[in-house]
Amino acid sequence: MAATQTEGRSSSSKNASGGGGLSLEMKMLLPVLLLLAILSVFPFFYIIWMSLNTVSLINGISFEFAGLSNWTRMFTDVIVGAAWVRAALYFVATVGLEMVLGVAIALLVHELVWGKNLVLSLLLLPMFMAPVIVGLLGRFLTDSSYGLYAFVLRELGIFEKDILGTSSSALTAVILMDVWEWTPLIILIVLAGLASVNQYVIEAAKVDGANYVERLRYIVAPSIAGVVVVALLVRSMDAIRYFDIITVTTNGGPGNTTKIIPIRLYETAFRFFDLGYAAAIGLGMLVFSILVANVFVRILDSKGLAK
Amino acid sequence: MRRRVSRRGFLKMTGAGLAGAAVLGAAGCGGGSATSGSSSGDMWEQFAGTTLNFVSENTSPTSAIAANLNGFKELTGINVNVLQLELGALVQKVALDIGSGEGAYQVVYADPYQIMAPYHEALADLTEFNADENLPSIPKGVDDFIPTQLAAAGRFENEENLYALPYDCPTMIWMYRKDLFDKYGDQMSQDLGFDPTPSPSVTWEQYFQIANWFNENQDEVPYGTGHQARQYDSLMCDFSNILWSYGGDYFNSKGVGSLGSADPGPCTLDEPEALEAAAFYKKLVSIAHPGSVSWDWNATDEAFRTGQIAMAPNWHEFAAVDQDPAESTIVGKIGYSPLPKGPVRNANMWGGTGVGINGASPIDEQRAAWLFLVWATSPETMLMGMKSDVGGGTPTRGSLYELPEVKKAMEPPSNMPNLLTYDAVSEAWKPENIGLRPKIQSWNECDTALYTEVSKMLAGLKSPEEAMTTAKQYFDDAQTRVENLAARPRGVA
Repeated sequence: MAATQTEGRSSSSKNASGGGGLSLEMKMLLPVLLLLAILSVFPFFYIIWMSLNTVSLINGISFEFAGLSNWTRMFTDVIVGAAWVRAALYFVATVGLEMVLGVAIALLVHELVWGKNLVLSLLLLPMFMAPVIVGLLGRFLTDSSYGLYAFVLRELGIFEKDILGTSSSALTAVILMDVWEWTPLIILIVLAGLASVNQYVIEAAKVDGANYVERLRYIVAPSIAGVVVVALLVRSMDAIRYFDIITVTTNGGPGNTTKIIPIRLYETAFRFFDLGYAAAIGLGMLVFSILVANVFVRILDSKGLAK
Repeated sequence: MRRRVSRRGFLKMTGAGLAGAAVLGAAGCGGGSATSGSSSGDMWEQFAGTTLNFVSENTSPTSAIAANLNGFKELTGINVNVLQLELGALVQKVALDIGSGEGAYQVVYADPYQIMAPYHEALADLTEFNADENLPSIPKGVDDFIPTQLAAAGRFENEENLYALPYDCPTMIWMYRKDLFDKYGDQMSQDLGFDPTPSPSVTWEQYFQIANWFNENQDEVPYGTGHQARQYDSLMCDFSNILWSYGGDYFNSKGVGSLGSADPGPCTLDEPEALEAAAFYKKLVSIAHPGSVSWDWNATDEAFRTGQIAMAPNWHEFAAVDQDPAESTIVGKIGYSPLPKGPVRNANMWGGTGVGINGASPIDEQRAAWLFLVWATSPETMLMGMKSDVGGGTPTRGSLYELPEVKKAMEPPSNMPNLLTYDAVSEAWKPENIGLRPKIQSWNECDTALYTEVSKMLAGLKSPEEAMTTAKQYFDDAQTRVENLAARPRGVA
């Protein structure tokens, strides 16, 4: 048995060092890699091909090579351009608010001595709801006739129009719905980071006379910086794809004020069935996501956290 | 009480028996078909064991059919799986099924604008099945269907082909709080200088004044009127009634709303009548319940039946739920009228649909699907649907409205509450009053452009002129693109 094991290890080592053929590990991974390739790589290249064609379902599915015309159209399409601008605004607002609120609440929860678990459980509840349900809840609460929030705002004289039907308030409302749902995720991630801060260092700082702000700035913040960037990355990827709440509440209205790029993509693909153009828009979103992800990965890498 | 359809009962109803012919043909409403429902038992059982998939919008008539499929199974031995979806999801599934050539859904709820117009060539021509001596023919013939609905729901571009049988017929009418009009009518009349009683002779301008009067002179309802002005199909439907009543239209092509057209010509939304209609619609919604700009038809009816508004243009099929004590606070207090008229005419948006057969399905499945179509659109099944606890549509067959029990249900108390709207909808279905949106292949894109621009207008982001001019540009671009696509030969990916 020992000889066989030795032979096995030798064989593996010989393959790993380029002695010919696939290594054992690669052979074991091959079926899964092939499956992933079929599920991911093939559709990916198919979508790229679609984006270079005019695809139609009228009179049966048909492809006609169109070169870069879908891409040209995307860069000159006023509606798509406006959707990107709104998406950027939405992205900055939601992710920004979630990060600020998430970190602040995490710091407060971390300081709790009694009832921490109960408070945390309550804070995390929104995160477990399906986005569609959050949208419906938001729609009911902001309804002009019977919505609680609409009633309170009206009675206080703060806002008397229909919240989701007014261009000045609709985008704010859907942003706040997203913030309500996903700030708990940031809280959870940051709390995990706070738990790993070296308490001896904190105590030593207290002994040395550092106040809360100084401890936060010079000890806690650098310690949790990597975790915060991870949280930022996770939410950023989601925020770019945001779809459910807007579809359920405003459907991109009123007057397209909440029509961000995923909504326009859905419309183009599954309402107009302009599949080639939709493929181009989708790939545009993918490129944007990759660029954003790369920025965060570089930040993590600079902190030595990417490996 | 639900009635199970026995094969013997169905054979009687289709005219093989004299009893059915006597009841349905009594008022001379049997139409001109000489072979009104010829069939025999063997015809119905020849596809026993087949399974069909029926994909439909989540509408009341389909709910009634889904709840009573045993009758069809007993008659034919065919199993039917009913898939009910929201309209957008339905269109997706059908378009992808047609595009793939799979034919997984043999029976299709063929929305005239979003499915039939762009994909009519993928639907089977039903005239072949109807003429086949080995298959049952349409009971009482195609002429029993209401003519405007047969053209709009069943045909595209010409009267030779038949792609769907009329299945449902929701129509927008004026729903109003009869009790409030009775209470305040005299005072309104005195203040406004005209008789405010809802009727097709009331103008839209007068409707506006009535709504404003309610806003300012009573507190039983918060607002006089409500509208389905959400950035969605609903906004297009609500706006279109006014557009047509002012003499405007989407295209100048004759018959584009009825039979439809592959080439309707340039869009006419920038013409003076359309601009005037848009300006009026903006004015009207500005005094409506503020929730209107985020309401679709469901939310508008919810507001109406919970006492938030005194009146609204909405689909007549909501009458059933409005008269349900479990859902409504205004049971017995509702009146119905055709919509007001504009400077040119009355116009009442028709939103009906037919059921068709997927031409990509195997031929035997298509023939089995034909049996289902005949059954689902038969007078017997439509009558059953009207009485169903889960249903609530109104029939697309003229003969049914002559039945004594149906006539009785047109007056309260009614066990078929949608028939309480009959006087209004029968007026609305007349050719001069019906409102038919364009049946064109690019309608999905045009519809989106229209309701987006009107929503921008209502949000104060564009003037009526800007909104209509931009919409026209999008209409023309979309139609050009689709015409070019349709002209290409069919290909394979």
